[in-house]
Formats: sequence, C-alpha cells, structure tokens
Amino acid sequence: MTRASSLSIWRERLFATPFTGFVSMVLVVLIAWVGIPLIRWAVIDATWAGSTRADCAPGGACWVFIRARFGQFMYGLYPVDQRWRVDIAGIAFVLGIASIVLAPQRLRLKLGLAMLVALPPLGIWLLSGGFGLRYIETREWGGLMLTLFISIYSSLIAIPLGIIFALGRQSELRIIRLISVIFIEFWRGVPIIAVIFLASLLLPLILPGGIGIDRLARAVIGLGFVIAAYMAEAVRGGLQALPKGQREAATALGLNYWKATGLIVLPQALRISLPAMTNEFIALIKNTTLVLVVSILDLLGVAQASLADPNWVGMNMEAYAFSGAIYWLICFALSRWSRSLEKKRRL
Amino acid sequence: MSSFLSLVNDKRVRDWFYQIAVIVLLVGLTGFFVRNASENMVKAGIASGFDFLWRTSGIEVPFVLTGYTQSDDIFALFWVGVANTMLVTVIAIVLATLLGFALGIARLSSHWLLSTIAGAYIEFVRNIPLLFFVLFWYFGVIAALPQPRQSIGLFGVAFLNNRGLTIPLPDAPGNFRWAALAILLSWLGYWLASAWAHRRKDRTGQDAPLLAIGIGLIVVVPALAIVWASLATRWDIPVLRGFNYRGGFVVIPEFVALLAALVTYTAGFIAEIVRGGIESVAKGQTEAASALGLRPGRILSLVVIPQALRVMTPPLTNQYLNVLKNSSFGAAIAYPDVVSLFMGSALNNTGQAIEIIAMTLAVYLVIGLVVSALMNWYNARIALVTR
Repeated sequence: MTRASSLSIWRERLFATPFTGFVSMVLVVLIAWVGIPLIRWAVIDATWAGSTRADCAPGGACWVFIRARFGQFMYGLYPVDQRWRVDIAGIAFVLGIASIVLAPQRLRLKLGLAMLVALPPLGIWLLSGGFGLRYIETREWGGLMLTLFISIYSSLIAIPLGIIFALGRQSELRIIRLISVIFIEFWRGVPIIAVIFLASLLLPLILPGGIGIDRLARAVIGLGFVIAAYMAEAVRGGLQALPKGQREAATALGLNYWKATGLIVLPQALRISLPAMTNEFIALIKNTTLVLVVSILDLLGVAQASLADPNWVGMNMEAYAFSGAIYWLICFALSRWSRSLEKKRRL
Repeated sequence: MSSFLSLVNDKRVRDWFYQIAVIVLLVGLTGFFVRNASENMVKAGIASGFDFLWRTSGIEVPFVLTGYTQSDDIFALFWVGVANTMLVTVIAIVLATLLGFALGIARLSSHWLLSTIAGAYIEFVRNIPLLFFVLFWYFGVIAALPQPRQSIGLFGVAFLNNRGLTIPLPDAPGNFRWAALAILLSWLGYWLASAWAHRRKDRTGQDAPLLAIGIGLIVVVPALAIVWASLATRWDIPVLRGFNYRGGFVVIPEFVALLAALVTYTAGFIAEIVRGGIESVAKGQTEAASALGLRPGRILSLVVIPQALRVMTPPLTNQYLNVLKNSSFGAAIAYPDVVSLFMGSALNNTGQAIEIIAMTLAVYLVIGLVVSALMNWYNARIALVTR
C-alpha cells in the first residue's frame, strides 16, 4: 500500500463529511484526554526497577509492587519451596489438552476419557499432598492458580450434570422433565453469591455429623451446581438445533435410548453447543471471584488483600490493573476462540 | 415368565419404572439430608421455625428507605434488604439501558472511530469480572475522592466525596405526590389513545399522530410535572458545616460504587443485544420499505424497530434479571442489600441458616418468576402472527 492511499483511507474514515469530521475531532480530544494521562501513568512516569516502595517515583505506576508480589498473585500463600508442584500440575493439564487436540480423530475420545479419569485426582494429589508429598492446606492456596483450579474443577461437576439435565429437559418422561426444569430454573434464578454462602453453610449441615468438608470444596461444589444449570441451557441449544431425524433414524436402526444418545445425538449436539459452553466457562472464570465472600483468595482476592500491606500503601491502581489485565487476557482469548468455533460451524 | 418378559419389553411400564426409581432416589436423598440436618442442628443447639423473625434485630443499617430502626424486629430488617436490592436494581437497569442503547447504536454507526471506541469498550467490560468493577469503583475510585471539604460539587446542590453522594431532599413530599398522580394519569391517557388509534386504523386505515401524542404524554407531561413539583417545593440543600455536609440525603459510597459497577458492566452486554437485534432485521426489509416510498424515519419506526424489538426483548429481560441477581455483589463491599443484611448479619445473629437462606432465595425466585410470566405474556402479544 502506498503512503498516499493509506492517507486517503484515513481521510475517508474520519473526515468524509463536515459532520463526520466534527465527531472525529471530539472523539480524538476525548481519547487524548483519557489516554495521555493513562499512558503517562502506566508507562512514561512508571517505575519498573527496584525493590521497595521508596524506589517508586510519585505520579507514576509502581510496577515494582507487582514484581515484588508476583509469586503471591500467581500462587497465593502456597509455600515457596513447593510451588513446583503447582507448575507440574499446570503443565500436566496443558499437555493433557494438547495431546487430545493433536491425537488422531480415532483415538481422541478414548484419550479424552482417560485424561478425564487420570488428571483430576493427579491434580488434587499434586496440590494438596499426601503419598510422599508434604500436605498443604487449601487455606494456603490462592492467586491465579486458585482461580484456574476452581474454574476447572467446578466445570468437571458442571459439564456432566449439565448434559444430564439438558437431556432430562428434552426427555419424553414427564416426571424426569419436570425435575430437570425445576433444577435448572432454580439454580438459574438465584444469585451466585447466595449459592456460595449457601454451599458453605448448608453442606456441612446436611452431611452426617463428623464428615468435615473442606471450605474450598464447598465453594467448588456450589459453583459447580449453578454453572451446571447454565451449561444445561447451553447443551439444550445444541440438542434443539439437531434435526429430529437423527434420533429417529438411530432408533429405527435398533439403538436404545442411551446408545442413540451417546453415539448419535450427543456427539453432534455437543459440537453445536461448544461455543455456548465456552461462553458459560468464561462466565464461570469471572464468577470464581465471588469466593472472596467466604474468604478464599483467588487472583482478585489476592489483589484486594495486598492493598492492606503496610509496606505498600496506595497500590490500589497497580493491583487492579494487573489482576484485571490477567482476567481480561484469559477471557478475551477464550471468547475469540468461541467465536471462531461458531464461525466455523456456520460455514 | 413370558408375561414378565412382555412386561419388561413394554415401553410404558419401563418408563414408569425409571420415573418411580428417580423419585424414590430423590426422596431418599432428601430424607437423608433432612435427617442429618436436624441431628446436626440439635447437636449445635440451633432452633428451627420462623419465630426468630419477630425478635428485636439490634442490627444497625447505614442506608434505610423503610423507616427501620435498630429496635424493630428481624422481619423489618428483611424488608430493608429487599428495598435496598430493588432500589439499586431499578436505577441500574434504567441507566444501563440508556448507556447500553447508546453504545449499541454507536457500535453500528458508520463513523469508523465511534464504532471502534464503542467496540473497544464492549470488549473491555465483557471480559472482566463484575466483582472487579465493584471493588475497583469502591476502593479505587470512591475511596480516592476528596474529603468532604474539597467535595466535587454538582450544580451546587449535590456533592460527591469519599463519604458518598450528598443530594438535596425535599422538605415536604406533597407536591411530588401530585406530580406522580399526574404522570400516572398521562400514561393511562397514552394507553387509551393508542388503543383508540389502533382500533381506528383497523377500521379506516388512517394513522393517528401517535408518536407526537406519545412524546407528549409519556415524556413532556411527566417532565413538566416533575419540574413543577421541584420548583414548588422547598429543598433541604446540603451545606458544608465543619468537616461534613449537613442536611440533604447521603447516598452511601457503597451504593454509588455498586451502581457504577452494575451500569458500566451491564451496558456492555445490553449494547451487544441492541446490535444483534438491529442487525437481525434483514437488509431486504429496509430496502423493501424504501422501495415502497417510506421516509427513513418511518422505516426505522415502522419496520426496523418493531422487528428488532421482538429479537431483543427476551435477552434484554434476561439481562435485567441478571442485574437483579448481580446486585447481590454489593455484599462484597457491605452494601446493605438482602443478601448482606439478611443472609449475612441476621444469619450471624440467629444462626438459623435454613430458614434465612430459603427466604433470601425466595426473593429472587419470586421476582424472577413474575418477570418471566410477564415476559411470556408480552412475547405472545408481539409474536409474529402468520395469516
């Protein structure tokens, strides 16, 4: 592209008519008014190197603070000499996903099921300990690691439950349908923050006396149930989009309900629902922050707690900017992925 | 044996067998939980029943709309929470709708820069947790506002500082009651006029100037009524005395922060709904309307908006119910809504978890059911009628 033509594109975009030009000018002034102080604060006047608050220049961002607390933002209060366990769990998770994606089509389902059986217990063992590893209480977990832990383990509850209730809602058995509708509409109708309170208060109450249930497990179970209801609606979309003839053909071939569902309906319906399910997973990651109300410190909780450090007074903006950016990057990447899946399906 | 086999092979019998099995399982599980709960509660010495509602609450609430005081009972505290939840929800819905429609239309604008800025805003807020915004507004923005002495004045009558927003309060509400009556009457008038206009159009095919009547009765008359009531009333305008403002009504910082977070966050979602709704109207509709000789304004009001509204209404309602549920995020900054007052403070004082949780959830479920019933009625009314 030549220089002249790119210039003319900008003229066309911003100054096509006098009115467009006027709007452009107003907007440019607005951007400058917000953007210039922001960039000055975050980049130009910011301090990047140093070790204490005293190293930071006033007026700019003090990224030294983030550097000093980076470990806490990632791992919470997890003992420093044991953090390799978290890293290994994370690597195992990434490798597991990658191997499923890269495996040949024929092996994918078996490999996926194997991973589903093997990885979650492995993760819990690595993080909490036992069998030769030092035992680390969930109170010490925190930061980004906890955000991802809660999101992944809640969706391990939510996805199977969601599929079951979505099938139940489409079932021709009236009582099953009624139970599914009540389950889905109940959990979708109540605020998640109330569910987290509910899980942390009621779960110990309804289990037989003597069975203690970990505080983090309560939050994961509570979130899992709510998200299950939202997942069920996402799966229902896929089930409804699938032509009726698919199940009818399977039944005509002599497959029973479970075989027709497992071999014919679900594989196709889940593929259609995948973008919607991804969107629910994004919502789950965002809602994970609510565990703050039962004093479990995920990424946002750690950022909030770090504001109370007497050595680092007034780091509100730095802590929020850093944690917000991480949430944004994760959710934005996932939403782009979900959108590209959707586009691929439409073609 | 053969009769047993034919029983097993009968689909109706099998269906009933499965359903009864599920019911037995559910009843058993519920019974198991209830037995454990009652045993555990006896062990912990927790009472049951709703008698606790009539006990004196003794809980101080910083933001009360209902005239509640500490010496009232716990049931009164419950209603304080419900009122505070409703207040922030309704105001947030109105403001988020305005901002969301503006953003959605800006996103569709042919002006490249305007559309890009709106798109950037939408992508920004949709991918960040709401709790982040709540904490950010509360600890990042409101806490950083100046002391009362250096308040930011808004038109010299309202003052924003780190202790909240101080707004003027009318000395006597009498004139506002008349204004409210006038507004209700003019809305009723519009409803009657539109019913008459539709009937006349069906009969004679003639249009009535419904838009002008609508603007007059829905916007201008209420605006005039409010302006008249405001001018005719003596106002208690806040004045700086010593270190803080005296007079007026103090909107607590928690309310301001929660409202700002709900509005900025929800507007991003509403904007996407608006964009989707308008884009869903096929281009051919606009083209056909202009081929029929309709002017652009008429195309918008007669062809595009009615069809877009049909697509937008269900997700918009969902979003409004989300605002209701999300107003509970205020519990994280101790805004006295029903979750933080009742599920938090009252539960701590009485320990009656099951009753309190059930009542709190019922608030959301009842409002949700009412709204979905209204929505279904509305959807049935505006649904496409194929003739």
